[in-house]
Amino acid sequence: MAVEPAHASRSRATQASLRISLLMFMADPQWLIPSMIAPVVFGLVAFELFRGAGPYFLTYAILGAGMMSMWGQTLYGSGWAIGQDREFGTLEPTIQSPSPYVYVVLGRVLWNVVSGLFGGAIVYLVVVVAAGSPPAVPDPVGFVVLFVFVMFTLASVGILFSAAWVYTRYSGFIQNVGEFAFYVGTGCMFPVVLLPFWTNPIALIFPPTWALDALRYLSIPGYVGFGWGFWPDIAGAVGTTLVYILIAGTIFRRVERHVLAKGNLSEF
Amino acid sequence: MLTSAPPSVNRVSFWRTFWTNAVIAPRTTLGFMRVDFVLGTVFIIPLTQMVFFVFVVQVGGGGASEIAFTALGNAVATVTYSSIFSVCQTTDSEKQQGTMEHLLVTPSNRIALYFGRGLIPILLSLATVTVGIFYAVALFGVHLAPSSLPSLAVSVTLTAFAMVGFGLLLGGVALYLRTSIILGNIFLFIGLLLSGVNFPASQLPPVLQWIGYGFPLTWGLDAVRASVAGDSFATLTVLWGAVAIAAAVSYGLAIGLWKTFEHKALSTGSIARF
Repeated sequence: MAVEPAHASRSRATQASLRISLLMFMADPQWLIPSMIAPVVFGLVAFELFRGAGPYFLTYAILGAGMMSMWGQTLYGSGWAIGQDREFGTLEPTIQSPSPYVYVVLGRVLWNVVSGLFGGAIVYLVVVVAAGSPPAVPDPVGFVVLFVFVMFTLASVGILFSAAWVYTRYSGFIQNVGEFAFYVGTGCMFPVVLLPFWTNPIALIFPPTWALDALRYLSIPGYVGFGWGFWPDIAGAVGTTLVYILIAGTIFRRVERHVLAKGNLSEF
Repeated sequence: MLTSAPPSVNRVSFWRTFWTNAVIAPRTTLGFMRVDFVLGTVFIIPLTQMVFFVFVVQVGGGGASEIAFTALGNAVATVTYSSIFSVCQTTDSEKQQGTMEHLLVTPSNRIALYFGRGLIPILLSLATVTVGIFYAVALFGVHLAPSSLPSLAVSVTLTAFAMVGFGLLLGGVALYLRTSIILGNIFLFIGLLLSGVNFPASQLPPVLQWIGYGFPLTWGLDAVRASVAGDSFATLTVLWGAVAIAAAVSYGLAIGLWKTFEHKALSTGSIARF
């Protein structure tokens, strides 16, 4: 009997996980709230508040609400990527399976990337319909590429959260209470430089802060963000994303060891 | 020979049911009387939500008056978390834990049961709005004259009652639905858009204004703003009346819905399950 190569098992695990995440999203529509309903409302509120505040106010509103859609999906969706196994009692059986657990979680996070981007597209459509015209974006292709990149920086945060939240009973608390704090801290709707200076170093811990600043530099002429400009923003985003992935990988290994050694993580 | 129970038994049962649902259930089966939940809802969420929208207003070129308007609006709007979510999710919790079916076959007085569950959320709502208004005054330049405090207290109390009534109403709908979390969230976010939280409701198209005035939050917010502005007693009375009517309608509809869906649950034996 032929033995399937390891990489096939891994990609199959990721595909299956992605598919199951999609089906669970359809079956349990509460995920529509953070990824679509809330951002659309925030987009319309921002559109009303920004109305008349310069030629690029529409870009601000769309970027901000789209970012909130993706943040919501990261915070609630990716953050739940391991927690769901704890609650359903499937953590130990999944980790016992031959496929590395990280590839199962990767499928879930990928789905959150897709649905976050989808939410961003819906926000774009609704705000554009409300405004009656699309925003003026100097470099549309660069905008789309960077927007997707922002989502990947968020995914790195999601992977870290999902791993770290295995060790706390307060993940729900952090999600609910921290929602607006994350929106403020990473400058979803406004530049982080507007916040008190002491908050800036904290904001820069998060990869999306760098990436979103770069996206605004690209799409809003005359934008005043971090003084170092576009390319250092990109470098910072890539660097912090890599650090997040490394830390998440370390925590993942610890989670797997913990499960195999003690088998008590499913006990809430 | 069967004899009816003496009236005193019913009275004891009513208050015991009320007390159990008001104080014990939130700490046990319903699970929202946790320190993290209370501290987060009362102290952290109002602050972060207000900071977020105030900065949005600043970026949009708003001045001090717009900032004060938004800060006060969000101070009151955060009542939604403690009023609608806590109450709405009582139904979800019972369904998910499998206790709803057992609850529905008990002879407990339903008014005591449902209204009892509103007591802690009313207190939490009062605390949330009070802390929110404190933030608005201390951090965001909302002017509050000491002479406005009595009328403000009336407005805030009425708003808390009305919003919890609305939460009970949604909780009634949730008995029929699989989960109420979407419903609660929809009304949370719609409130931010249609209830005059961040900008005057008059900026909205007429149809949306009418929809907005279908929610107790809109009337409650108007009453709070009028109290803070030091409006005349006549103006306040009209607004208080509107909030009270919104509350009465919400509680009445909530009881009606609970009866309807409870009857349906007992006849079908299915909708009380998760």
